[in-house]
Amino acid sequence: MLKREDINDYINSIPPSPLTLKNVLKCLREGELSKAAAVAANDPALKLYLQTLVNKPIYGFRNDIKDVGQIFGVLGLAQAEQVIYNYMISLLSPKKWELFALTEKSFSDIQDALSVHWKKILEYKDITDKTIYSSISLLPASIIVCEALFKSKKAEVDLLRSVKAIDYSTVLLRLTKMSLFDLCNEIAKAWEMPEQISRIVLASSGKIDEADENIVELSKCMHLLFFYQLSQPTCIEAGLNDFIEFNIDYVQDIYDEFSQLVMEDS
Amino acid sequence: MRAVVKNRIGTFHPQGFLDGTTAPPMMTIDDVNAAKALNVDMLLVSLKKIVFFNKNGLDVFIRVLEEIHKKSDVVVGLCDYDDKKYTTILKFYEATLNFSLFRTQKIATYFISGTKEANTAKSLLVWHEDASQRSALAIELFDRGHTPIVCQSKKEFTEKKNQTELYEVVIYNTHLGLLGSKIATRVTGNAIIYSVSGFLDAEISDSFDLSYHNNSLNVGFTLFVFDAYKVVSMNIHAVNFFSKLASAGAEYGANLCIVGMTFEKTPLTFKEELEDAGLLFFDNMADILEDKERLKELGGSASATQANKRVLNKVLVNELPRFVNATVNTMEMMTNAKAEKTDAKINTLDIGPTEGKLASSIGFYGNLDGLVILIFPLTIAKKACELLLGETAVNTEDILDTLAEFVNIIAGRVKTLLGEQNISVDITLPRTYEKVQDLLDTVQGRKGVQINLSFEGENFTFFLTR
Repeated sequence: MLKREDINDYINSIPPSPLTLKNVLKCLREGELSKAAAVAANDPALKLYLQTLVNKPIYGFRNDIKDVGQIFGVLGLAQAEQVIYNYMISLLSPKKWELFALTEKSFSDIQDALSVHWKKILEYKDITDKTIYSSISLLPASIIVCEALFKSKKAEVDLLRSVKAIDYSTVLLRLTKMSLFDLCNEIAKAWEMPEQISRIVLASSGKIDEADENIVELSKCMHLLFFYQLSQPTCIEAGLNDFIEFNIDYVQDIYDEFSQLVMEDS
Repeated sequence: MRAVVKNRIGTFHPQGFLDGTTAPPMMTIDDVNAAKALNVDMLLVSLKKIVFFNKNGLDVFIRVLEEIHKKSDVVVGLCDYDDKKYTTILKFYEATLNFSLFRTQKIATYFISGTKEANTAKSLLVWHEDASQRSALAIELFDRGHTPIVCQSKKEFTEKKNQTELYEVVIYNTHLGLLGSKIATRVTGNAIIYSVSGFLDAEISDSFDLSYHNNSLNVGFTLFVFDAYKVVSMNIHAVNFFSKLASAGAEYGANLCIVGMTFEKTPLTFKEELEDAGLLFFDNMADILEDKERLKELGGSASATQANKRVLNKVLVNELPRFVNATVNTMEMMTNAKAEKTDAKINTLDIGPTEGKLASSIGFYGNLDGLVILIFPLTIAKKACELLLGETAVNTEDILDTLAEFVNIIAGRVKTLLGEQNISVDITLPRTYEKVQDLLDTVQGRKGVQINLSFEGENFTFFLTR
């Protein structure tokens, strides 16, 4: 069905991150918000993405914001960096989704919902590290990777799933010894994302051992948040509810805290 | 979301959060129709990967399940929950709990009719706070050939439940709701035993699971015993039913027996009529099951010679490429290896030495009928199971269990391919053989198409017969 060579082909097909984005991220990491905005404003596609994004109701800004400097201003350094990573990931998404019933907009909505909830969790935990804020951006890449690898294998996987409750990531792991999260890691490497982002996302699969307790705690929140999002009607309708396996035991101890923080506000 | 089918149990596996908003898209009209079309005895919703649920969310599933139960008589319910979830479910539905609850999916399998013999060496420990539920659980288990030990008090259960090594399974936090009206069935050796009771009339045609019976005939069972100790009497409709069943089974060389039936309140002419139709009467079950010679004579032992008179026909041979393609494609998908056809012949099954091999078979019936047999070298069987099991070194029981799922996939594929040609077939439960000789005994003398395939140098045999 899928072979290791297919995975290598996929990894080799990941494009390098665009120079503009590299420069925007460099400025943001150096704390140069206005400089970052000036670089970003030179990229029309990025500018349009930012303008569309911040004016979505989920971000809760009352006035229409058009100026990139203003946009970065209201977002702040951490969230601006996260938004740039979201944009980078969205560049990988297909023009036409085949495996999952998604569109450019619905995928972007999933990214935004995850970002907003993740921010809330980190604020509650008093975490200000920009890298940790950005780590949520890599998570939806698992959906893109799954779409790319399995879109032509849907019938075969459906057949397997008619006799066994098995998720795409497990199928991939058993066939190629690599999971969807491992492939997200490859994207992170190709785009020179900080190592901590990969570690949090890898641990959020709920299936690997991570020694750092702080990363484990964050990865549990991320795992539960991802499944909270994948349980939303649009994700269920898109066929995303069971594309990866939910590890309920992994998140049991943080469930109460999570439900108070995320579910009661929703 | 589609149900996963295993051992005639269809299970939905939702994940994450289940409430009034998230549950409806999990059960679309297409999903409901697909579930209705499944040939299953039980339809369940697994709560294993649900971290949050409320009554509105569960209600969506329960309403659909209850509607399916009304129309197709399958047992419906929930499974795979912990103590906390069980308490919550009882609280939600205390007055209206019409569906069943099975603490695990494995427990649910003890309440359906399978093609595997029940393990009588170990008993099943049963506990329920409610005495009527305790009895119902025990009766249902007993009728399916299991040996339940029912605790009469919470104290007794607490003492016994920790001795897990003594019991095959401990059944608690399990509740039987509306059950199907199907006659309970169990397998003993190579015999199928149906438990009938009360007054037998025209309703027996509805409560008898003809699909299961056909399954069993198609996969090679030839001894069918009606456990009639609890039968009070029967009328002419029941007599007609048994006569027709005997005639239909004759084509397969099947024997039908009625055990323990007293004719105190039933005309003896009925017995004579049934004997003329080919039914055999015995006073005790032991007269059949413990008499090895008789058991062999009736077809209830593995080495019994079958009297199958059915031959391979042209229609079936015409469809052969579809069967082979489905098998090869599935094998290639599961093993990630390329198949090469080495030879094909029409003959009786010939596989050479049987050591180091496993076999599985699955029957189909409808517009076409027949039996597909697959014989795997252990190495290929293990490789084919890796994708479903996720492990390389596993025990034979797990491999056999997974091979059953594997032939189900192949049969499902064949069913779809034939459906595209407007040929409608139903597939039977798969049967697996640790001892390939048992399978060879079952198909002894039957001609069929044998295709030998090679997967990375290992030989794999496909055999299609009737």
